[in-house]
Amino acid sequence: MSTEHHAHPTPAQYWKIAGFLAILTAIEVAMFYIDRELGLGFLNAAILIVLSSIKFIVVVGWFMHVRFEKPIINRFFAGGFVLACSLYLVVLAALGVVVIRGG
Amino acid sequence: MSDLATETHHDEHESTGIENRKLGMWVFLSSEFLFFGALITNYLLYSNRGGFEGIYPAEIYDIPFTSVSSFVLLMSSLTMVLAHNALSRHDQNGARTWLFATAALGAVFLGGQVFEFYEFIEVYDMTLSTNPAASAFYVLTGFHGAHVAIGVIMLLSLWGISRRQGGLSEKHGLNLELVGLYWHFVDIIWIVIFTVVYLLSVPAV
Repeated sequence: MSTEHHAHPTPAQYWKIAGFLAILTAIEVAMFYIDRELGLGFLNAAILIVLSSIKFIVVVGWFMHVRFEKPIINRFFAGGFVLACSLYLVVLAALGVVVIRGG
Repeated sequence: MSDLATETHHDEHESTGIENRKLGMWVFLSSEFLFFGALITNYLLYSNRGGFEGIYPAEIYDIPFTSVSSFVLLMSSLTMVLAHNALSRHDQNGARTWLFATAALGAVFLGGQVFEFYEFIEVYDMTLSTNPAASAFYVLTGFHGAHVAIGVIMLLSLWGISRRQGGLSEKHGLNLELVGLYWHFVDIIWIVIFTVVYLLSVPAV
């Protein structure tokens, strides 16, 4: 195994993290049905994106151990993610699927 | 002298201080963002663009079923990290058990996807060529499923090696870590797909 630089979570902590992720997933599904009834629109989209972003960060940070790795790994991973998001956001904006306001 | 030689060799090949194969896996996963980003973008372009014949994916999603599938894949990330943790504590039996559990959960997720595809095709008559939205949906979720299938094969291979050799060596320990990184990546991609494709999709007008 690779050299560990920081103390990784214990199995009990991993179970707690998984429980937290399960709760977030349950809230996401609940939001889907709440939106069907109340028609929250943009608010629903914003909440769902925030919830999935939290899940994303928790899995990457704790399960993939990015929090405990050397910064170079963080940069590689974040670099690819930011590049992909930027590129495709521009494509979607250019084709009118998303609207970027400003300027 | 021997230690110095080893250290020099180590420095020459790992100037970053990270195992080359591990760094390679991170670079590969980073590039996978572009791959899946293209497929998700393609889906978003066509998912609610009207004017095409046939049923649209967003009209027939079974959210309770897909939620259970998502939960299963999420929990497989837990079993994966528990396998890694068990191995770091030299608990070979624990690592083997959690590896198998991860592969089993991955197989359950795949079974769910096959069932979903079967239902969409047989019950709703939505095939790959029904319209661009259906095509984009099958290509995106199909490629994700292929990644899961490859992950299951790698997990079962490690489990088989561990069973045959009575445990995983240091070399195979790194393999487990790399497979784990791949598996968690497949999970985070599904987190995005589940939200963007299933929960945020609006049926075409």
